[in-house]
Amino acid sequence: MGRRRRRADLADAAGALPEAIAALSRSLPAGPSPEIFRRAKFDRPEAAPALWRLLFRVLSLLRADRASASRAPEAQARWVKAALRAQGYPRLGLARLPEDGSQGSRELLLALAWLLAREPLPERLLAQTRVRLGDEMPVCECGALASPGQPAPRVDAAGPVDVRHLQWLMGKLRFRWRNLMASQQEQCALLGKIHAYTRGCHGDRSLGHLSVAETELLRDPEGGRQVRAGACGGRDLFLSAKIAILPVCGGPLPPLGHPGAGMQTRSCCLVMGTPERPALWFALQLLQRLESENARLEAVLEWRRRELVFWQWMDTVLGACPPEASQPTFPPGLRGRGRRAGAWGPVAWELQALQEELQAAVGARRAAWAARVGGQGPEWSAARQAAQEAVGQELAALRQAWARGGGGGRAQPHGPHRLVRTEAGGPGGPGLRAAEVIGALRSREACLEETLRQLQEQCRQQLARLAGALPGLIWIPPPRR
Amino acid sequence: MEAARVLSYRRVLPRLVAELRDALDTCAERQRQLEQSLRVSRRLLRAWEPAETPTPEPTPGPETNEEAPSPACTPSPQDLKELELLTQALQKAVHVRKGVSKAGERDKASSLKSGSIATSATTAAAPHGASPTKPPRGTRQATRPAKGLPKPRLLSAGDQTCAGRGPLAAKPGPGLRDPQIAPSAAPQAPEAFTLKEKGTLLQLPVAFRKAASQNSCLWAQLSSTQTSDSMDATTSSKTQFLQKMQVTSGWPSSRLSAAEVEAEVGRLQKACSLLRLRMEEELTRDPTDWMQEYRGLLTLEGLQAIVGQCLHRLRELQAEVVEQQLGPWPEERPPMASLPCGGGADPTWSPQLLLYSSTQELQTLAALRLRVDMLDQQIHLEKVLMAELLPLVSMQEPLGAPQLALCRAVHSLLCEGGQRFLTILRDEPAD
Repeated sequence: MGRRRRRADLADAAGALPEAIAALSRSLPAGPSPEIFRRAKFDRPEAAPALWRLLFRVLSLLRADRASASRAPEAQARWVKAALRAQGYPRLGLARLPEDGSQGSRELLLALAWLLAREPLPERLLAQTRVRLGDEMPVCECGALASPGQPAPRVDAAGPVDVRHLQWLMGKLRFRWRNLMASQQEQCALLGKIHAYTRGCHGDRSLGHLSVAETELLRDPEGGRQVRAGACGGRDLFLSAKIAILPVCGGPLPPLGHPGAGMQTRSCCLVMGTPERPALWFALQLLQRLESENARLEAVLEWRRRELVFWQWMDTVLGACPPEASQPTFPPGLRGRGRRAGAWGPVAWELQALQEELQAAVGARRAAWAARVGGQGPEWSAARQAAQEAVGQELAALRQAWARGGGGGRAQPHGPHRLVRTEAGGPGGPGLRAAEVIGALRSREACLEETLRQLQEQCRQQLARLAGALPGLIWIPPPRR
Repeated sequence: MEAARVLSYRRVLPRLVAELRDALDTCAERQRQLEQSLRVSRRLLRAWEPAETPTPEPTPGPETNEEAPSPACTPSPQDLKELELLTQALQKAVHVRKGVSKAGERDKASSLKSGSIATSATTAAAPHGASPTKPPRGTRQATRPAKGLPKPRLLSAGDQTCAGRGPLAAKPGPGLRDPQIAPSAAPQAPEAFTLKEKGTLLQLPVAFRKAASQNSCLWAQLSSTQTSDSMDATTSSKTQFLQKMQVTSGWPSSRLSAAEVEAEVGRLQKACSLLRLRMEEELTRDPTDWMQEYRGLLTLEGLQAIVGQCLHRLRELQAEVVEQQLGPWPEERPPMASLPCGGGADPTWSPQLLLYSSTQELQTLAALRLRVDMLDQQIHLEKVLMAELLPLVSMQEPLGAPQLALCRAVHSLLCEGGQRFLTILRDEPAD
């Protein structure tokens, strides 16, 4: 009896693993078949290309890196290695794999499992490409416009730069911002109207009205000619409808990350029958996208139910690998390529400047204080204690402001939110209130204005110092606002 | 006048121009997207005309190969499947649609001839060439009260043998809840639908609603499974796996990954700005009594200590990264694209709503968002300007007019955002 039970359990287990892997594969974009996984365990070479492709797809989606979309397989493999390394992938075996996709499927399988173990990968990928039916507005600072990476300086062949060219560029930028603001206001007015006019139409009571995407769906369900998704690999998704998000703000928003779809723009927007583009099967697209997302969601849920058996299996895979020889540690004298040093420049420079200023300020104040203090009674030490504690707490709170996931990190709302118009004065349902967001934005605005003002003041002082060195001139500053 | 020309600091200034160009491009891109959204929104608020069937144009590129415009082509199985899906979707859509513009249909039905419409395989066998207009209208009238499916029949009647893709005449009149005027009294011109007047009558197609509600239901299920207890065995096996990976690997585990390092540098950057703000706040404050003065002093000292710690940490990170660059890993370091907002530390998959109560409020909100983004960009550019322009000005020794013009321009760029200029007067001794 026991033996039969065990055999049944084994049979069960034997079936559970392929099903788990199948669920996993359905939940990922470009998921390979369970057969590939099985072959990878035995390090069969034919499984390698599919796994390289999968890793590339997954990693480029995670990093929202559109630029790498159309690379050759070798370049993709190199990119995958670099991306994994940047995440801290520990195994050296991956680095040693040939990039032509001829071998290494077991190592790639381990890399995939590593990614899966660290974070809820299928969910995260789905969330990024989520079908957004509403009019979305971001409420956090992530992916902000002016994220100053190190832009690869496009070294224009021209030599000397005329400062008037700089002035012209700055003026142009100001003008563009003004235009942007004006367009933005108009768009909000239109949105307000559309939301108001379609009150009561939505099945979902908490929403109450239709969004632009939904209204457009009703206005023109058939759209026009269908655009083939032939450019993308596979027909799993009709990707040409960049319907994901209607930017109220004109961005920044998470991009519809489908490398290989041949989409040029970074953010997604509602594309509908505009003369310069082929019209799309709007309704079909939206419905199909919803349905395929539902299918993937179901696959993820199934994967979560079954994944334990996968991890047990991965243990055996890892066990089958010989342990790697540990990398000899290089002596610290070898400085290697300090390529990254460039990224540190601004931060280090600013911190050092700050430190110098603080040093000067503290020195002055200390001296003044030392001159002041004298002959204070016992109530002085108590007050001193209290002051120290208060300041300590204040500074600790300050630290939280930038600490890892700090006090604000969790509580703060993130990501695009769907705009919902409610009646003024009503309690409203669950959701973020615009008034709160406005408040937070105002304080942030004040903060930024202050920072900018300080920077400009710094410049003013420095220039005044330089001007002071030049005799015989009168500098008349422009009237302050 | 080349008098204002800056000396050629090729190494330095191209970066400034590149940054400005980047900023301009980002702005332009945002504007473009906004305008697209505006187009859509404006169109929605106008009267909804029945969509015209564009004359079938020769489609460029790969589409011509696939579309096979010859009438006698047979659709591939995949095409048929897609078209079936389409038909189903449209069938469902039409369930709730009571066409208002009968006459509009008349016009559109006639243009069906020119359009090439592909439907399911069954219809390909029975081409209805002649006068497609009469039968569809008839059936439509007859089945109107039954909320029937005139649409697919319309399609089957109206299609041509050509199975190529083509534009479908959009049925005028969206899904309305209440029946409209009797079709017999069909006016010549279609009654235009405006959102303002009849917007509240709209209803989303059933299939769509079902899919959307299932979608939110599934997402909600996802969030609940994240927190269930049965995850413990799985979580521990995952942790074990990760540990085993680390142990069996050749790379020492104490290192921080490049991603973590970058994240920390970002935090330090943020720390720097916050600390500076606090310092300025403290410095501009005028203490009224000795207690305040003492607290001010303590605060500044505390800030100094923190800045020291930050610098120390930065140097530690620098050392780590340099060491990490050695080894068999490829040199190419993928640039850290700005990470998509993963929802912070605790991603919530449930729908997130932002409630606003008036257009005014929405406009304020959007304007503030833009303003914050713009200020962010301005601050970044200001720092770049400072780094690149200040050295130039300090190096200029001779005091001719060109150098002064340069100083004036630089001052305006740096201190006034390029908007205002100072005046320089020569103080001529009055001889």
